[in-house]
Amino acid sequence: MHAQAASHQGAKARSQSMPAAAGIGLRSPHVPEVLRTCPRVAWLEVHSENYFAAGGAHVAQLERIAESYPLSLHGVGLSLGSTDPLDQRHLDALCRAVRHFEPALISEHLAWSSVGGRHANDLLPLPYTEEALRHVSRRIAAVQDALGRQLAIENVSSYVEFASSQLSEWEFLAGVAAESGCGLLIDVNNIYVSARNLGFDPDLYLAAIPPAAVRELHLAGHTRVQSPGRELLIDTHGAPVAEAVWDLYARALAYFGARPTLIEWDTDIPPLANLLAEAAKADALLGAVHARLA
Amino acid sequence: MPGLRELQSDFLAAILGDDAAAAAGARIERELVAGEYGIARGLAIYANNAEHHVSDSLRKSFPVVHRLVGAAYFAQCAREFRREHPSRSGDLQHLGAGFPAYWQRRHGDDGYRYLADVARLEWLYEEASAAADHPPLDLAKLARVAPAAYDMLRFRLHPSLRLFESKFPTLAIWEANRRTEQEPELIDLGSGGERLMLARKGDGIALHRLTVGEFVFLQQIVQARGFTDCISAAEEADVGFSATAALEKFVREQVIVDLVEHRFADPAPWHESAQ
Repeated sequence: MHAQAASHQGAKARSQSMPAAAGIGLRSPHVPEVLRTCPRVAWLEVHSENYFAAGGAHVAQLERIAESYPLSLHGVGLSLGSTDPLDQRHLDALCRAVRHFEPALISEHLAWSSVGGRHANDLLPLPYTEEALRHVSRRIAAVQDALGRQLAIENVSSYVEFASSQLSEWEFLAGVAAESGCGLLIDVNNIYVSARNLGFDPDLYLAAIPPAAVRELHLAGHTRVQSPGRELLIDTHGAPVAEAVWDLYARALAYFGARPTLIEWDTDIPPLANLLAEAAKADALLGAVHARLA
Repeated sequence: MPGLRELQSDFLAAILGDDAAAAAGARIERELVAGEYGIARGLAIYANNAEHHVSDSLRKSFPVVHRLVGAAYFAQCAREFRREHPSRSGDLQHLGAGFPAYWQRRHGDDGYRYLADVARLEWLYEEASAAADHPPLDLAKLARVAPAAYDMLRFRLHPSLRLFESKFPTLAIWEANRRTEQEPELIDLGSGGERLMLARKGDGIALHRLTVGEFVFLQQIVQARGFTDCISAAEEADVGFSATAALEKFVREQVIVDLVEHRFADPAPWHESAQ
């Protein structure tokens, strides 16, 4: 294990306070209803950047919600894989949010979004090379040092890959966890989408991930589009979780054991009850794992 | 083989569609692999996502401008704005800061001049919503100030306070178009300008029309002027200005949130972010 990994063992103990049950991604249309009804769901995840504000109603609402639910802060904008210097302003804002809300989990993406100071504000793929592995691991370690906490790093959906990649995505992800000491957030839908688009076996992926590093799982819906020549899957977060993804999730639980599992929905956001119903499906599968272990 | 930085530079140029996009696109496509749908189709997903995230963020920050110009024209302008001002942050909350100036450049000399002012008001609303919190003024502190010390008194404003001035009835336009469930009433653009104050109130942002005197009074506080100077400037601008009424109003609205008896010159304004 890399020396940087050892410095975050304390953080690992704290992350275990997140229950191995289903949570939902909290988006602004559902905040009033969550405050009013306090629905039965084990935990909530928010996008970190939505709570970088110094004050105001959104921050106050999340403070109240955090009194009732364990929270996960999930970042989308740190651009961990970029070759630009780390955005210190962004990192400072994340540190402030972490100190303020004391989340049980903090996560970001195995991706980059910016170079030369310009941002795509999207999660772009890395070449899976030794150079990129060393680079992104150093950056993750630097962020963990700034936070004094472990980050969980999420695999992203891909529509292209680099010809120069020397490693598979799963080898790269496992390598980053070993090198930086980060945890892993395994997005099962993203594995399914990338596997279908780029033609790999998703079970090979799951089998290569070290279970001890897995802190959280993500589930979301995707969209199928017919592209000239072939079907393409797009990670839209705008539909129920596909049956094939539920099947893959059940196999992920067999590989990893029960883990905190999030239902994400970001476009065409349905009533809160729909998300809670999806979370109940995940809880049923998690319950079966717990029952086997009991 | 290109290094990581070179690959990232070409990838970003290709999907942001800037002047270098064609050449960068040709280079990056040689470095990529995709499914049978093809590399260009794969890259287009990232390009569409990047465009959508910017457009969606601007639409959420500027709902009234979006309604006034319509979805199609707003999307076209958002694309143009992104080309002129590429996002410089992973936090999209900053993206709209330059959008009012964009509308000023685009429509500052035609019949849609008011759009820049509406955009400016919407951005001030966003800033006020995200500003730091502050407790109300402790009235006992005010009561302890001896009348002889008024000359040395300086007030501190709530961090969310923003001042806004327009020669158009911008608040009327804003209010009419915030209510999306009904058709907005017609507003006479020549019906006069407005001076406004935006400030946090409870869970929301309150917008108040101000008299010239009240506006100048708050401007002077923003500029860290002493209490008596603030009153003098306000009275000069507005013969009807009442310092007592203004003070009572701004304390009640939790706009004036603190005070100090200031005995020495202080070059730093009390509240630098207020406009």
